[in-house]
Amino acid sequence: MTASSTPEIQLDQISMRYQTNSTEVLALQDVTVDIKKGEFVSLLGPSGCGKTTLLRIMADLIQPTNGEIKVAGESARAARLAQKYGIVFQSPVLYDWRRVKQNINLPLEMMGIKKAEREERVDYLLELVGLQDFKNKYPWQLSGGMQQRVAIARALAMEPEILLMDEPFSALDEFTREHLNEELLSIWSKVGSTVVFVTHSIPESIFLSDRVFVLSPHPGRLSAVVDIPLPRPRTPDMRHSPAFYQLISDIRDCFEGV
Amino acid sequence: MVSFRSRWLPSLVWIVGLLLLWQASSWVLLHVVEASMAQSKIPYIHELIRTFITYGGTLFTEGSATFSNAALGFLLGAILGAVLAVLMSLSKWMEQLTFPYAVASQMIPILGLAPIVYGIMRDEQIARVLIAGYITFFPVALNMLRGLRSVDLSAVELMYSYAAKPWMVYWKLRLPASLPGLFSGLKIAAPLAVTGAILVELMGAQNGIGVIMLRNLYYGPSHNYMFWSTVIVGALLGLLSYLIISLIERMVAPWQPEFRPSGGDK
Repeated sequence: MTASSTPEIQLDQISMRYQTNSTEVLALQDVTVDIKKGEFVSLLGPSGCGKTTLLRIMADLIQPTNGEIKVAGESARAARLAQKYGIVFQSPVLYDWRRVKQNINLPLEMMGIKKAEREERVDYLLELVGLQDFKNKYPWQLSGGMQQRVAIARALAMEPEILLMDEPFSALDEFTREHLNEELLSIWSKVGSTVVFVTHSIPESIFLSDRVFVLSPHPGRLSAVVDIPLPRPRTPDMRHSPAFYQLISDIRDCFEGV
Repeated sequence: MVSFRSRWLPSLVWIVGLLLLWQASSWVLLHVVEASMAQSKIPYIHELIRTFITYGGTLFTEGSATFSNAALGFLLGAILGAVLAVLMSLSKWMEQLTFPYAVASQMIPILGLAPIVYGIMRDEQIARVLIAGYITFFPVALNMLRGLRSVDLSAVELMYSYAAKPWMVYWKLRLPASLPGLFSGLKIAAPLAVTGAILVELMGAQNGIGVIMLRNLYYGPSHNYMFWSTVIVGALLGLLSYLIISLIERMVAPWQPEFRPSGGDK
């Protein structure tokens, strides 16, 4: 998977201010970012650095106070209305009354796709996330990791150009998280979307990404952009390579003295 | 066998024990204490059963008349309540306009309202239906509104990310999410609708369980067992209405947390 040079998402001088009681909070200050088409990037930082806010701005869930955002040359709103986004939230946000396959089917229903094609697509997605045997279960019958896999399959259902993921694995244990990281990369290699992945885990961001955007808090701002030169496909043993440790250390340095 | 013992045996013992206690109290009141009108206070169960068998046909016919009117009123009230809930969830303005009146409507004692409605309508059927509906709409509206509002922000944002039209958000998200609320409202309202219908009948109607209840009360001690039978039929009608709604809930919204097997079994 090589990223082409066309910028898919362009953030220009994005700022976000909140008014809380009498004080004004600067959640984001002048963030300028270019994300290429087909690229996998992470937004990394501690709580309060505005990484989720930035993702929500990209998703057109909130409007920035200042600055401009362009998605494939259009506004974020136009991209949302054109159903270009697949979003995976921190919690799976599955609908309790829908079985696994019906949850994955939801965006396809919204797009008005014909039933036969929907079924075919859902089967493919179930296979992609390895949940064929659970398609008739209700969400509460699945483990947390499985639920999040359903959420990923649902986000991929409409073949989104852009996959926005807001700390999707942060509620899971370390082992499940690493396993799902590997699965996510394997899925991504098949679908080829542009991925923006929010995380507060340094190893996770390195393992997954082409580039890591390091954000610092108070006020939230972009403090570094780190290229991850590890070859693809990424394999679990890379987590033990000297290059990997070097990258962890480099990114840690970005947070020093902040 | 294990499930029979653990599930049914305790309740069976409980019920049999209760009936025995009742029967014993009845005997004590009648022969030991020699209270006046002892049988109208705690009647013998075997006498009640005999009355039930003798007048089963009458009780069934009158009970059905009450129940069908209550059911119709309940249905209309439920629809009104649900529509009101949706309207109130759609706009704060609508809620501010409607809600105080909905609350105020429930402050009026049914006992006073029933004869007024009956006086205006001059038709026992319509009066029964109206009162049953009147009792039903409020708990349904209130509980369903809470259900409609119970939706998580991220569940709405998910819809938003699909560029969903507002009616789609209702159809795919808010309405299914409101089903548990709707059904708890319906379960509260169903027995009340039956009680309401009986109340109208007490005001003077031609048929219905309330009519024979009142008539046998007037006839005095000689009709004591029949009076008790009508009271029991009234209670059974309420219970039946509750069970029917519970059954429908099981079929329509089986995914609710309360229906999940306990023990966290995957």
